Amino acid sequence: MRQLFAPGADALLRLALLTGAACLAALPVVGAGLMRSSYVTGVGVAPAQPVPFSHKHHSGELKIDCRYCHTTVETQATAGIPPTQTCMTCHSQIWSGSEMLEPVRASYAKDQPLVWTRLNKLPGYVYYNHAVHVTNGIGCSTCHGSVTDMQLTYRANAFEMSFCLDCHRNPEKYVRPKDRILDMAWSPPANQATLGPELVRQYHIRGGERLTECGICHR
Amino acid sequence: MSGTLIPRAGLLGRKEDFASIGRAVTEAPARTRSRAWWIAFAGACGLLGLFAATLAWLLLNGVGIWHNNNPVVWALDIVAYDWWIGIACGALLTSATLRLTGAAWRSGIDRIAETTAILAAAAAALYPIIHLGRPWVFYWTLPYPNTLALWPQFRSPLVWDAVDIISFLGVCLGLWYVGLLPDLASLRDRAFEAALAQAEEHGRSRRLTLLKAQAYGILALGWRGASTHWERWLTATRTLSGLALVLVVALQTGASVMLAGTVLPGWHDTLLPVTFLAASLLSGVGVTAALAVLVRRALRLEALITERHLALMARLMLGLGLASAYCYATEIFSSLLHGDAFDRAVLVRRLAGAHAWAFWIIVVFALLPVQLFWFSSFRRSGLVVALVGVAAAIGSFGDHFMLLIVTLSHDFLPSSAHPYSMGAWGLATLAGSVGLFLALLLLGLRTLPMVSITETRRFAESHPDGRPSGERAPTLAETAEAPLWGVSAEFDDADRLAAAVRALKARDLGARIETYGPVPMRGAADALGRPAGILPLLAFGAALAGGAAFMAMCLYASGVDYVFDVGGRPRFSWQAFLVPSVSFGTLCGGLTAAVALLFQNRLPRLNHPAFAIPGFTKASEDRFFLALEAAGPRFDPARIEQALARLPEGRPLMVRRVPL
Repeated sequence: MRQLFAPGADALLRLALLTGAACLAALPVVGAGLMRSSYVTGVGVAPAQPVPFSHKHHSGELKIDCRYCHTTVETQATAGIPPTQTCMTCHSQIWSGSEMLEPVRASYAKDQPLVWTRLNKLPGYVYYNHAVHVTNGIGCSTCHGSVTDMQLTYRANAFEMSFCLDCHRNPEKYVRPKDRILDMAWSPPANQATLGPELVRQYHIRGGERLTECGICHR
Repeated sequence: MSGTLIPRAGLLGRKEDFASIGRAVTEAPARTRSRAWWIAFAGACGLLGLFAATLAWLLLNGVGIWHNNNPVVWALDIVAYDWWIGIACGALLTSATLRLTGAAWRSGIDRIAETTAILAAAAAALYPIIHLGRPWVFYWTLPYPNTLALWPQFRSPLVWDAVDIISFLGVCLGLWYVGLLPDLASLRDRAFEAALAQAEEHGRSRRLTLLKAQAYGILALGWRGASTHWERWLTATRTLSGLALVLVVALQTGASVMLAGTVLPGWHDTLLPVTFLAASLLSGVGVTAALAVLVRRALRLEALITERHLALMARLMLGLGLASAYCYATEIFSSLLHGDAFDRAVLVRRLAGAHAWAFWIIVVFALLPVQLFWFSSFRRSGLVVALVGVAAAIGSFGDHFMLLIVTLSHDFLPSSAHPYSMGAWGLATLAGSVGLFLALLLLGLRTLPMVSITETRRFAESHPDGRPSGERAPTLAETAEAPLWGVSAEFDDADRLAAAVRALKARDLGARIETYGPVPMRGAADALGRPAGILPLLAFGAALAGGAAFMAMCLYASGVDYVFDVGGRPRFSWQAFLVPSVSFGTLCGGLTAAVALLFQNRLPRLNHPAFAIPGFTKASEDRFFLALEAAGPRFDPARIEQALARLPEGRPLMVRRVPL
């Protein structure tokens, strides 16, 4: 009898089977990688804005306090986006003829707000309150990164559930003293292991058991 | 039960032998090229179209189109899912039990039962996805590496369904495919013979015929019927059957335990796990019997699926029907006995409420028709067996409807009583899934051997005729100079082959002895020494390891990594985790058994020197080959030929040299 298959057929079949298996194995890996990539999350990508506003210049070099613009960060759920009037407190006086600032002046003249491209947006089913975080030892840079070093502002973290839970499970790893909240260069000190739990007690944070309940964020 | 089975009266036509069995099954699909098939297929495709339309409508509007409401959160979606899975479980359990007990009458039935199981599971497979409300995030039910730092809720039947259906399809397809391998080899060889015949006639074979042979060849993974391969194949099918048995019992009892985990009245009878098993078995056997009658009539396989097969299926249905009736009676009796008012109220609603028709469907369709089988004339009538089988399946649908919907539509509080009515869309979804089942079945009838050639041959006579196969062998002159792979001897009888192996085994001929044949060759395998039985150990080890790993994952996820309180349930709910763990374990075991079978047999191997043995296509029909493969300096073809010619018993029909 003749052979139905040429001697090379086995190599081809094995190659096909291995390729199929590799593709199957690669599918979840590629999918998981894609969902975590900055292409999907937008981390580190500075989108175009109507005015190329630099946090590095204003809050880094000129040392303007965060709360000068984000006025409600300590009292309300939202930190607040400054109205054009806030820009004009200075820019009616300095750089008042700058071409770059033309949209700001136009917005002021027409009494129409600047339309910024929003960076951090949580889904509708997530409840988040800025005030409760910054008044209880969580600093700006923990979530927003070192904003004072950003020439153009970008998202420093993908606000996925695992990001929030990481802190909610172990708040003692991230809490700071009251006077370091706005410190962009803060990193956990060497004695965080002892300082953290102490701060957690001071702030009356009820720990991971309570903070990981569904209703804390999904109300 | 390795080797040839003892012939049993009435399970095979009187004149059937190896060759005719193979011919009957391989030529059967050609009989579906008829107008009736096309009409049936068009109807099934119409139902499939309805299915697609329903699913589109469902995606647009949500599960409300099925009239699901509060408190009837599980309506026709879960009823239909449970019904299909019940049929699949019953059919798989039938095949697995018959294989494990070595019942001779599985020959005509096991392939049909496994096919039923696969098709019913395929019809069920979409339900766990489409009833989710947000079907596009169905993968949330699986533990995948997500960005939520969340685990699926392993206490939830949602997750069980996902794991169960994947496991069921895996084990079921594994058993079906392993059983199919030798049959596919037979199909491959018949197609190849046709291609060779064309080459003889026209100088070259038609491309299509050769492609068909190669397609079957790839699917058969180079199965060549070596005796060691057969021994491992027997072990693998038995191992898979054992795993299937565990899976089915776990699935059906798991479903009833799930109901007992709620507080609703009418779901707490201790007999429920057995009731579930009996009812699902009845529906599975019923559909299998109906399909067996269909295959027998449509493919004209009366000689292989005989009246006796039908009579045995009928007896099985009668027994299961009586068991089911006993379970229902016990449930009613115990409801009255332990005097819980709510339980009694549920019972009254089942017997006389708005959906009382569901209960009476069980009685009229499932419990009463099987009583016909007390009479032997009904047991032997194909039409009656088929109709009663379909009726049993319809009755089973009433059972699932009654159990879920009647209970849910009214519990302890007047506020949670809410009328429920079946909507047109719910019924359309059900009809659509039936269409999927039928369309796949019709395609299967047209392409695949619906009766296991191997299992049927195992207790047929091979009818030795003493004539060697007709293929031209290379002449001595041609093989004198060529390098030899070995020497082959052809037999038409397994006993003579075994005698030859025993005689040659003791002599040092410088050759490796292997035998090839269309059925497991017990005598030859005994003489050659059986392969070590490591396969079941591997499979059950993998099953235990997989189940334990899944259980560990559930315990870690729900008890350590992310603990949250669900209705006050304990942190380590191992009882709930047991259901998906057992399913997943059987899946691991089943896949391991299938992969180990191939790995130990060094398959797939599409091109092998043994295929060059003259007349080797007959090794998948009615001839046995003894191959002495050159191994060592003492190999001398002339000496081997002499030895074969001088055998006291078991002289071969023909001895040939096989070039490399």
